[in-house]
Amino acid sequence: MNQINGAIYEIHHMDMLSSRDQWVNRVHPLVKLVLTVVYISTVVSFQKYDVAGTAGMLVYPMAVFLLAELSFADSLKRLRIVLPLVCFVGILNPFLDKHYVLIDGIRVNGGILSMVTLILKGVFSVLASYLLIATTSVEKLCCALRMLHVPKAVVTQFMLTYRYVTVLLEEVNRITQAYMLRAPHQKGIHFRAWGPLAGQLLLRSVDRANEVYESMLLRGYQGEYQYMRERIGFVRQDLAYLLFWLGVFAVFRMWPVILVVGGLFS
Amino acid sequence: MHMADALVAPAVAGTMFACSAAAAVYSVKQVKLDIDTKKVPVMGVMGAFVFAAQMINFTIPGTGSSGHLCGGMMLSALLGPWGGFLTMIGVLLIQGLLFADGGLLALGCNIWNMAFYGCFLGALLIWKPMMKGGMSKVKIAAASILGCVLTLQLGAFSVCLETYVSGITELPFGIFVGTMQPIHLAIGFVEGLITAAVLVFVYEARPELLFGSTEKEQEEGRFSFRHTLAVLAAAAVLTGGLLSLAASSNPDGLEWSIEKVAGGVELEADGGIYEAAGSIQETTSLLPDYGLKGSESALGTSVSGIAGAAAVVALCAGLCHIFKLFRKCSEQE
Amino acid sequence: MSHIHIDVEQVSFGYEKGKEILGQISLHASERDSIGIIGANGVGKSTFLKLLVGLNLDFSGSIRIEEIPVEKRTLAQIRSKIGYVFQDSDSQLFMNTAYEDIAFAPRNYGLPEQEVDRRVEEALRMTGISHLKEKQIYKMSGGEKKLVSIATILSMTPDIILMDEPSIALDPRNRRNLIRILNSFEHLKIIASHDLDLVLDTCERTVLMADGRIVKDGPTDVILTDRELLEENGLELPLCLQGRTGKAE
Repeated sequence: MNQINGAIYEIHHMDMLSSRDQWVNRVHPLVKLVLTVVYISTVVSFQKYDVAGTAGMLVYPMAVFLLAELSFADSLKRLRIVLPLVCFVGILNPFLDKHYVLIDGIRVNGGILSMVTLILKGVFSVLASYLLIATTSVEKLCCALRMLHVPKAVVTQFMLTYRYVTVLLEEVNRITQAYMLRAPHQKGIHFRAWGPLAGQLLLRSVDRANEVYESMLLRGYQGEYQYMRERIGFVRQDLAYLLFWLGVFAVFRMWPVILVVGGLFS
Repeated sequence: MHMADALVAPAVAGTMFACSAAAAVYSVKQVKLDIDTKKVPVMGVMGAFVFAAQMINFTIPGTGSSGHLCGGMMLSALLGPWGGFLTMIGVLLIQGLLFADGGLLALGCNIWNMAFYGCFLGALLIWKPMMKGGMSKVKIAAASILGCVLTLQLGAFSVCLETYVSGITELPFGIFVGTMQPIHLAIGFVEGLITAAVLVFVYEARPELLFGSTEKEQEEGRFSFRHTLAVLAAAAVLTGGLLSLAASSNPDGLEWSIEKVAGGVELEADGGIYEAAGSIQETTSLLPDYGLKGSESALGTSVSGIAGAAAVVALCAGLCHIFKLFRKCSEQE
Repeated sequence: MSHIHIDVEQVSFGYEKGKEILGQISLHASERDSIGIIGANGVGKSTFLKLLVGLNLDFSGSIRIEEIPVEKRTLAQIRSKIGYVFQDSDSQLFMNTAYEDIAFAPRNYGLPEQEVDRRVEEALRMTGISHLKEKQIYKMSGGEKKLVSIATILSMTPDIILMDEPSIALDPRNRRNLIRILNSFEHLKIIASHDLDLVLDTCERTVLMADGRIVKDGPTDVILTDRELLEENGLELPLCLQGRTGKAE
């Protein structure tokens, strides 16, 4: 199950990327969060045959990849979940869609276009999320969520879960490796061990949680979880960044920029 | 069953965010973290446990395939509906952000489809009533299986509904549902068995860990059953209203299916919302030559498309490099 | 006459009725004492330490920390005077970065952010890990985590430091570093450990426990060189006193 090692690596890797001292990383986290959500909403809102319009939204991820000096190849791994999904959902479009569109005077099946836009939407939205988490650390993201008045209880749970995810992943790794070394012909956990294996892990996790609680009590914890930053200040660059991109999104949404620019050539 | 962003329209995503947010705020009130302070670290570590445990491959006897744990039911059985729900939100956020398993825009949908059904319905409708009058291995197993199956069925159906209303796929609703439901019935059953195995183990080792084992926990949520029904009813009304708005502002999907169903006769949609939605679409596509409302129209030439794309990419790359150079110079000063 | 002292009188304790883990323990410790608590597995070392900070209140007898009895209503007061370092650093450290974890305690006590910052810097300096200030906990090695754990209680400026098996999971260099740091502290220290060589190097006084009772309480030099006493109670001479073949002479 090197899936687990992969997960641990992924967490460490994203953390490393987001903690670089880099221009985009320094932009206010709330600005990046808002832009990501607005970007994804915009991309997804394109009409299903509007391939050119959707494709134009390429500029945002492309720019951030370049500005933040991130590797595009690195992000391709993330597409492995979304691509099969959108293909499954869109695969029958060319067959079921009875509408046709003229391109170069040739009739093209609308379903092919809608499938292409679906794939583009899928890819762009995943890339946007990747860019968010690759340039914003989890701590700063939590601060941004608090600034949006997401309840403290929710943000605290997110933070604590994130803190212990790698610890638990390594424990799962250990148990399953120990299991595999004694069950060389099996690929997964045999059903007789379902209960005990995961159950032991659960009990150990509960014990750990109790210890964490004791540790918190001994350092003065009395119920008020106030130990995260509630606010980060804005600077002019943050506002400029926000307005610039919102403007770009608006322009690219309303006009098919690619076709307009291309029209200048013909 | 995690939904990707590409599968939802913004209006649908927004609606589900609102529903999930309402459920979250309600949970925060109910969980009373300021009184029972121990729950805070327990919820956090349990969230990490569920996340990690969902990566374990449990081999299904007889077949060659593997199944996984059902997070929602597991957390409900350990933390109760409110604690479980809040913890699931954290788990879904990590899955979505760090592993692209579920989109950011679709988070509201995912929270509803998985956490809400798993924790509110799973715990309140199934776990609690069944555990009344004492627990037993059989009851635990039955509740797990039933809970998982119900959660996944409702979740899968919601996914179909949300995707369909967003107008993403040409798949007829019936066929979509017809493939999703049976698959998730099987998955739900397997997940239920695995979850049951683990919960029975916990019951035999440390029964006090299970939700509902103490008198206090049995009291908890007694009146919340009615509240939950009220929340569900409100959500249904809200969802219905907003989704119909979404559907009407996305006439393509619905139009097409109306055409197919009614044999080309377009149903007269009554004024107000439909016209408003129509005019929004008019203004957002400033060049109506490129309007593509399901009819044959010129998309332009492919040459202009390719040339335009190349030009835009080059311009973007160029601007970025200039910007970086500019920053380097100003930083060196 | 310093106010920093611990007075334990005839304390007995068991998690379940009928199963006594600690029986009739009496101990007095004063400022600048450095006490090692040793004994075989399961004798009750960790349990004893937990009683001192009020993590279990169902004991009989009396425990007084700086004249304050350990009971429910005095817990907050007592815990502000004692720093407890858990055996498992991952349980001690539950925030995401070292800074946040070390700042947790002073923030809880309502100190202004400037003072919190000053204390964190001081704690990092005392443990020699200022360079780890912003580092993520999960990325750290066992040695680094142990030092951060110690820093998390130093920022509370406690009078008393309790440690449960501090050198477990540390490699030789980190262990040596730990010993050096412990020796630089002037607090009242109580260290429960299997690592007899560590106790030899850091504690002037040793308390030997067996079956939940104190067998002997005296100078480390005397107890840790008494081979018969140690072997009778499930232990051995410290490794450095055993000669190169590893066999006690």
